[in-house]
Amino acid sequence: MTMSSLGRLWVLAAGVSLATGLAIPHAALAQDKTLRVRFYDDPAGFDPASIFRIENENIAFNIFSGLTTYDSTTGKVVPDLAESWSTPDNITWTFKLRHGVKWQKGYGEFTSADVLYSFSRTRDPATASPYATDLAGIVKIETPDDYTVVIQLNAPDGNFVHTVANYHQGQILSKKAVEAAGKQVRWQPVGTGPYYLDSVDVNSRIVLKRHKEYYKGPAPIDTIVFQIIKDEATSTIALRKGEIDLAMRANKEENLQTLAREGFKLNKVDNYAVALRVHNLSNKALSDIRVRQALAHAIDYEAISKATSPSLQAAAHSMLMPWMDVYTPKVPRYEFDQAKAKKLLAEAGYAKGLTIKNLSTSAQGVTEFQQFEIDYLSQIGVKMEMELVDTPTFNQRRNNGDFDITTRLLPAVNPDMILFSFLDPDNIAPKGLNGARYNNSKLMALLKGAKAEVDPSKRLRMYEEVQQIAMTDLPYFPLYTNNVVWPGKPGVTGVKINYLAQVNFYEVDMK
Amino acid sequence: MLAYSLKRLLQLVVSTFGVVTLVFFTLRLIPGDAAAALAGDTITGEALERLREQMGLNKPILAQYLTYLWDLVTLRFGETITTGLPISGLLSQAFPITLSIALATITLSLIIAVPLGAMAAFMAHKGRKTLDNLITTAAMLADLMPSFWTGLVFLLFFSLMLGLFPASGMVSFDDPVTFLKRIALPVMVLSVTQIATMARITRTAVLEVLSEDYIRTARSLGWSEVRVLFRHALKNAALPIVTIVGLSFGSLLNGTVIVEFIFTIPGLGSLLVNGINSRDYQLVQTLIVFYALFFVSVNLVTDLIYKQIDPRVQL
Repeated sequence: MTMSSLGRLWVLAAGVSLATGLAIPHAALAQDKTLRVRFYDDPAGFDPASIFRIENENIAFNIFSGLTTYDSTTGKVVPDLAESWSTPDNITWTFKLRHGVKWQKGYGEFTSADVLYSFSRTRDPATASPYATDLAGIVKIETPDDYTVVIQLNAPDGNFVHTVANYHQGQILSKKAVEAAGKQVRWQPVGTGPYYLDSVDVNSRIVLKRHKEYYKGPAPIDTIVFQIIKDEATSTIALRKGEIDLAMRANKEENLQTLAREGFKLNKVDNYAVALRVHNLSNKALSDIRVRQALAHAIDYEAISKATSPSLQAAAHSMLMPWMDVYTPKVPRYEFDQAKAKKLLAEAGYAKGLTIKNLSTSAQGVTEFQQFEIDYLSQIGVKMEMELVDTPTFNQRRNNGDFDITTRLLPAVNPDMILFSFLDPDNIAPKGLNGARYNNSKLMALLKGAKAEVDPSKRLRMYEEVQQIAMTDLPYFPLYTNNVVWPGKPGVTGVKINYLAQVNFYEVDMK
Repeated sequence: MLAYSLKRLLQLVVSTFGVVTLVFFTLRLIPGDAAAALAGDTITGEALERLREQMGLNKPILAQYLTYLWDLVTLRFGETITTGLPISGLLSQAFPITLSIALATITLSLIIAVPLGAMAAFMAHKGRKTLDNLITTAAMLADLMPSFWTGLVFLLFFSLMLGLFPASGMVSFDDPVTFLKRIALPVMVLSVTQIATMARITRTAVLEVLSEDYIRTARSLGWSEVRVLFRHALKNAALPIVTIVGLSFGSLLNGTVIVEFIFTIPGLGSLLVNGINSRDYQLVQTLIVFYALFFVSVNLVTDLIYKQIDPRVQL
């Protein structure tokens, strides 16, 4: 123990009797707007090349910019650092950059060299970025002048504007700032976004201040203090007590109802992502399409979601979300019909039932949702056994494909991200997210064709067929769509949660 | 005494080496590493391998072990794998907070539990069962209340309804008043169980002593019941109480995870559990060594206190 901590103990001992009484006045910030937001875990750093978890990504989202970004309400790709872009063939992409964009903390003006540097840095094996694979299709990056970037791909990709959006590998860094930060780059991010990182105390809070030279003009709020509050109930009490103005994520139905009753605003995005049940097709029973379809018919998912958490979940009918441009509702639906489920099981040779193990985390336990599933399945003679393991073990086993069934929720705006990750045989576990080990050459030909297709209506038709095949074969079954809720004081406006579950604080203001 | 202390110090070194080695290898036997823990929903395959490389998890285990031993000997704790922050910094922030909470809890608990337990023993000895039963039952009920429950009830009552203490905010020594207000609720919650345990132990120990001959002698000398109880009986019943304080102190240092979570206290418990959950080997290893050293020291101090309060104890 150091001398100073001994000193602190004396202070403590002396102060025990003074526990209440004196109050130290808060620093005079009266004229500037300060928004206090709950942050739900310890921050893990904000380097786009190695960033993880939504809460950290949300901070980075406000510090950095991409060539493109997402409209908070519609989820559409809109210009950010690039004013416009064009491509004749989905292979060569030309981006025209905005003039006069300033880096935070006095790092000068943003130019095309920064784009080249950022993408090269993520792709550089020395950076060891997990997002390097997202940029693997790039063959060449050219910067004919300070405000033009030309990117050439190895294969046509109609959704490339998603890859360069303000998210992970798409976020643009300043070379000078990265070099100045050295090993501490994840704690000293410098971007061109509406807020810059003022200070981080990994134990208690993150402070963002507005970037006065932001290209769209300064944000309405001067300072955002993210306070770490891990417990859901504590976060609710802190909001009710006025210690915070806005809570990043609240996922307990009962807390939401209390807050709604007391007049708090439940800022919300519906259908942000879909939770998929992964059927391991190397399991003998699950390799039979009739068994997979029987499982789908056996459970009334609509009823479960309504009963367990109506504000946070809804029944899902596709691997894609309705707001995606290539989504189609014209896919096979599996209505709740246990007679049909039993018939399908009998045809598959499981008239006497079967046992399926569901891999899940001990941290989550057996959720109410799963308790209902177990009960519904028992009615058709299927025994669902829960295998509960701790989270890192769960991640490892799920990545290795070591399970009968499990759940995965992949937040994405780019439909290709979902379709390729789950359905491409090149991504079969442990190489990628295709934990079902699904391999359908017809579907893949359509999917690759759709990604390359320049004609919009042809492209939509191909994506439609992909979704139809996937929902017929059911390597993955959509369990429910997830909603994200950020409860806040009624005076906090403009909290629009986008489809990556993030809030653009440039749009947020307070009375 | 000096020889004894030296012998214990040597034991400390040997057992620490044992703990270090055991922790190093068992940690790596648990499935899933820091990369898998971080990767979560989105990262697999090649990307995961890159992450592993970035975190230095690809080196041979024996090489990692030797590096680690050398770092320990030269007092280099290094950085966490997941956040790249210096571990010594995290430790020096978390330890004073946890220690303050533990000390405050022990103090508060002793002040309340010892008189309560002694009183219960006295009543039981006198055959006045009502008060004894009341105290014993209350202690048992308090002992059974889980801290996640008392934590939330105290938060609702003292923080939200009465507005006495904050539910969130910085825990910093720079502002002692705010600091004390912030740790008040965790201390109260932790004290509930401690008081229950200590009161029960005190009652049993004192009750046993009260039937001894010398107590009867003390009474026959005409001394007041209060003096007999608190000066003579309690002093001789102190050994089990010191033992339980030593043990409680140990468990308060590592067992406050739930309370730290509920009240967002950045203490040692959260640091360790986060480390385990994210498979941050470097962090967990360092913390465990720290714990081992600390526990052995607490035991040593407890033994020395035995000697002080009871000359019959031979070291």
